[in-house]
Amino acid sequence: MLHLMAMNIGTAGVYFCLFLALYFEVFLLISFLAKKPSKKTSLLPKHYPTVSMVVPCFNESGTLATTINSLLSMDYPKDKLEIIVIDDGSTDRTREIGEEFARREPQVSFFHKENGGKYTALNFAIAHSTADLIGCLDADSFADKDALIEVVKRFEEDEEIMAIVPVMKVHNPRSPLELMQMAEYTFGIFVKKMFDNLGAISVLPGPFSLYRRRVFSIVGLFKHAHNTEDMEIAFRIQKHGLKIVNAHTAFVYTTVPTTVRTLVKQRTRWTQGFLQNSRDYWFMFGNPKFGNFGVFVLPFGMAMFFAALYLSSFMLYQLISSIVLTTIHILTTGIVPYPSWPTFDWFYFDTSTTTFVIAITLGLTLVSMVIGRHIAKSTFGLPAVLSYILLYGLIAPLWLAQALLGTVLARESSWR
Amino acid sequence: MKVDWTKYVLALVITVAIFYTAYYVATRIDATRIADIRTAQQNISIDLLSTQIQFELLGSLDCQAIKENPVLTSQLNTIADRLAYAENSLGKDNAEVIQLKKQYSLLEIKDYLLMEQISQKCKTKTVSVLYFYSNNGDCASCTRSAEVLTYLRQTYPDLRVYSFDYNLDLSALKTLISLRKVDGPFPAIIINNRDPVYGFRNLEEMQALIPELKNLASTTAATSTKQR
Repeated sequence: MLHLMAMNIGTAGVYFCLFLALYFEVFLLISFLAKKPSKKTSLLPKHYPTVSMVVPCFNESGTLATTINSLLSMDYPKDKLEIIVIDDGSTDRTREIGEEFARREPQVSFFHKENGGKYTALNFAIAHSTADLIGCLDADSFADKDALIEVVKRFEEDEEIMAIVPVMKVHNPRSPLELMQMAEYTFGIFVKKMFDNLGAISVLPGPFSLYRRRVFSIVGLFKHAHNTEDMEIAFRIQKHGLKIVNAHTAFVYTTVPTTVRTLVKQRTRWTQGFLQNSRDYWFMFGNPKFGNFGVFVLPFGMAMFFAALYLSSFMLYQLISSIVLTTIHILTTGIVPYPSWPTFDWFYFDTSTTTFVIAITLGLTLVSMVIGRHIAKSTFGLPAVLSYILLYGLIAPLWLAQALLGTVLARESSWR
Repeated sequence: MKVDWTKYVLALVITVAIFYTAYYVATRIDATRIADIRTAQQNISIDLLSTQIQFELLGSLDCQAIKENPVLTSQLNTIADRLAYAENSLGKDNAEVIQLKKQYSLLEIKDYLLMEQISQKCKTKTVSVLYFYSNNGDCASCTRSAEVLTYLRQTYPDLRVYSFDYNLDLSALKTLISLRKVDGPFPAIIINNRDPVYGFRNLEEMQALIPELKNLASTTAATSTKQR
């Protein structure tokens, strides 16, 4: 009886979570239909502002050269683009590589400082830069040659744009785990563009986000912000009512975690950062003063976090219940279920409301991915979608639970 | 920072519409399932009546003809499985489900009585089990008992298992319960018209309770399906 009651309450919770997920997707698709992304043009910027691209690094000897080379090969006037490499106390060959580039390339400046965290490296670079635009490129990422031009063109559209986030794609995904992230990033490309339509972008990720210099004098420099300084500064810019947009024609490639352990660690940091920054900016939740960011993005981000956690807990409960019940039945009845081929009688197909709603929600997610694929000119296909469907639901609960635990226990998340 | 509330309302309307459509489609499919069970029950009803008339016409003179047209146990079993599925998905209190269960119980009783008559007149040895369960939350082991009986039924195709919801408001069923003096606790099992046996019995115990099983042909493989 208690089991049945728990099931009924549990099912009601599932309906509520599905409703939220469906509403979220419908809302974004409405936003898409209201304003579709414009096509890329071959036009060049009217002016070329000076740009400082900051490469903060900590033990990035494996990828640093590729990152710097991608910046050096940018289609942008060399006298207008400087590359500031900040070694945040690396213990590997990062310093050696950075100094070698600084000696060889006049565009590259190299600084070595004591380890203080990414935000200190960024602030250090801002203090040493006089450029009109300041960008960041994580040392595990690289950008297309025309990415900077595309971003500058977007800045030219509106003087009030204070920060721009590009399209992030996964570099050379091979394993199912990387393919899963590729599908997720593609969905993210769609979501980011729609958040742009709503004027509610919530994060300025390390790979190739650019800022107008004056934004730092308005909102201040980067903060530790629970190891998610890129999210916190976006919250702060939104708090000041300033504009963040997405340059959907500027493509950046990033390497993604290749093991479940490193992926869970990375996502725990991101998710815990969201929870902790949300706590710091609680006054923006549901507050129309902060536009769609306050009314839609923050509340739905939080609701989706708990909904995902709830759904995975519910499924885990069902799985454990089923295993326990089957074991009890086998032990008490003395009947071991005989394996047999499933029968394809339509009568026994699960055609409940839940099944249809799940199918529609998944369908809309796929539609969103296809739009994201179209925006990013990406090539992801069935293997990525299958990896996403099969793996994401199994792995994501790990970082969701860990992030919640970390937030409750006020435990600091780790970078690596 | 402007908030376009129209978009929020529109998204809500569309989401509700999608939910309603999903609910509507699911309900329509459930209605088709109910209709499917009803049609199957009507067919069985006609076949049972036909067998009964055939029996009355032929009397005991031609038992062979009756044996060649066996009464429809397998079809009844199929309906039982479908009814169990419908009850599980629509709920035990669903009016349609209750109605179908009543019809099904009547068919079972009719089949049971007819088989008793045939058995007597044709001197055939049948093994029948009347299984009474309760759906009122007072029978934790009913599902497991049903599993044991389902297993036996599939292992011994000639074993005739008739399952009844004890709480079903059906006068014919109440008469059967009263005649067989079934009161509880559940599950209750009557094997070949012997006294009721109460409580859960595992496979080994159940086989011991039905020694007649040794005389029935058995299949080697059996799959488990729910019976109630």
